[in-house]
Amino acid sequence: MHPAAPCCLDEISIMANRYLGDSFLLPALEPDNRHWFTNGQLHVQFCNSCDAARYPAEDVCFRCQSTDLEFRAIAGEGVIESVVEVQHPVHPLLADRVPYNVAVISLSGAPGCNAIGNIVNSDETDVSIGQNVRAIFEKATDPESGEELLIPNWEAV
Amino acid sequence: MNGNAVVVGIGESEYYKRGGAQETEFQLAVKAISRAAEDAGLELSEIDGLVSYMDNRNDPLRLSAALGMKELRWAMTPWAGGGNNSAAAIQCADAAVSGGYASYVVAFRALAQGQFSRFGSHFSGMTNAAGPHAWTHTYGLISPAQECALHTKRFMHDYGITQEALCDISMACYANAQRNPRAVRYGSPLTREKYHDSRWIVEPFHLYDCCPENDGAAAVIITTPDRARDLKGEAVPILATAQGIGPNIGIDSFQGRWFPGMFYEGVAETIWQRAGIRATDVDVLQMYENFTGPVMMSLCELGYCEPGELQDFVANGALEGPDARLPFNTSGGNIGEAYIHGFEMINEAVRQVRGESTCQVDKVDLSFAVGGPGYAPGSAVLFGRD
Repeated sequence: MHPAAPCCLDEISIMANRYLGDSFLLPALEPDNRHWFTNGQLHVQFCNSCDAARYPAEDVCFRCQSTDLEFRAIAGEGVIESVVEVQHPVHPLLADRVPYNVAVISLSGAPGCNAIGNIVNSDETDVSIGQNVRAIFEKATDPESGEELLIPNWEAV
Repeated sequence: MNGNAVVVGIGESEYYKRGGAQETEFQLAVKAISRAAEDAGLELSEIDGLVSYMDNRNDPLRLSAALGMKELRWAMTPWAGGGNNSAAAIQCADAAVSGGYASYVVAFRALAQGQFSRFGSHFSGMTNAAGPHAWTHTYGLISPAQECALHTKRFMHDYGITQEALCDISMACYANAQRNPRAVRYGSPLTREKYHDSRWIVEPFHLYDCCPENDGAAAVIITTPDRARDLKGEAVPILATAQGIGPNIGIDSFQGRWFPGMFYEGVAETIWQRAGIRATDVDVLQMYENFTGPVMMSLCELGYCEPGELQDFVANGALEGPDARLPFNTSGGNIGEAYIHGFEMINEAVRQVRGESTCQVDKVDLSFAVGGPGYAPGSAVLFGRD
């Protein structure tokens, strides 16, 4: 099974401000998450031997134990598998952001892979299980390297 | 059934609200172990094994010195997770005495959450989302309540389960705690109105769906049936134990292959096969409730009912009191008695076999305790009469 063709970079939606606030925690870039957080396009790890998709990335394929793994672009589309509203902030930077939503999103083109994200720019009725969503990217700057981050998030289709 | 090892003593410190203990966490551990030894009629110096779990802060070398142990022959914790390993700790102690590696092994859990960082608030100091947390903390998914809520929400959606089921589970814990003077919530009953009026933590969890934080310690002493015959403590056989994790689960619980779920199908299959019984044969159940939602899913995975039957299964006081259809968390559990990461439930499961519970079920032959659902690997232990 081959992943869907990637969307064009110039068509991606970008948010200038982050859903949880521009001062909220940024991901620390590592080899296994760099694709996800910087490309402006969703990349998921696939096994070149058996084609299994794996999210988050792992050093070894869980299906065939191959180490021949690569990141492949997938369409920035998904479905809300679950979503909750967080009312109690457990980090001081979230104190004035509650309530906010957190969702589990199944990724189109990466069978079995579910990502965590927020549903942004959406009416309350759109934030529900079964809703189709597409990727939107939050712009930020990595404080270590000064590199631009494009953090995938989601909006209702 | 196994029965090659027995619990011969149980003990606990007083249980306190978070920050309520005057003793240090280490003193609480020593108190619980000393009381378990006293219950067994065993000299502390005879203890030769220590088992705990979940980032245990009470170092076995420090404890062995403080307890005056002659020799520490067995010291370990099960790998991974948190309160899910409360029953796995019993399995490790059972393995030690059954295998002849130690004679009297203590399994225990001690925590003084007032003296260390609060769950959740230890995230306050974080300045970035690093390692495995990059995939979750970046999006504000930080606490166990939030993680379990995502599973619970989908499970409720799939099977048409309402908020009342969560309320029923919390109310059972509170009702049973009203019979137990050790319980932190003793004297603080919960009503359905109070439950629904309480604030949301993360929908669908109200405040009362979440266990509190507490200070306290609990311990048991495990030995062989032969050695137990020379001790005064009433021996309670460990009939079966299991710990486990299904295929490809690893550390990320949200993947499509097993979402939503609590990872207890494998533990259920193993323990019922080892014991030669079914879930419904058990007389009394202690099930770890960090939050009420995971209890619903675990009841189904362990074989008590089908997901579509869950709402009715827990309704109308079906879990409350000694005469409940399914006697459940009879000491009040994590929510009502004290959150000692599920170890207070191990003591309660032993009490039920001895006939010493404050919510005593009639004729207990099989008493079951389940470690914390929601985090892999899962674990469970079955106590009973030979």
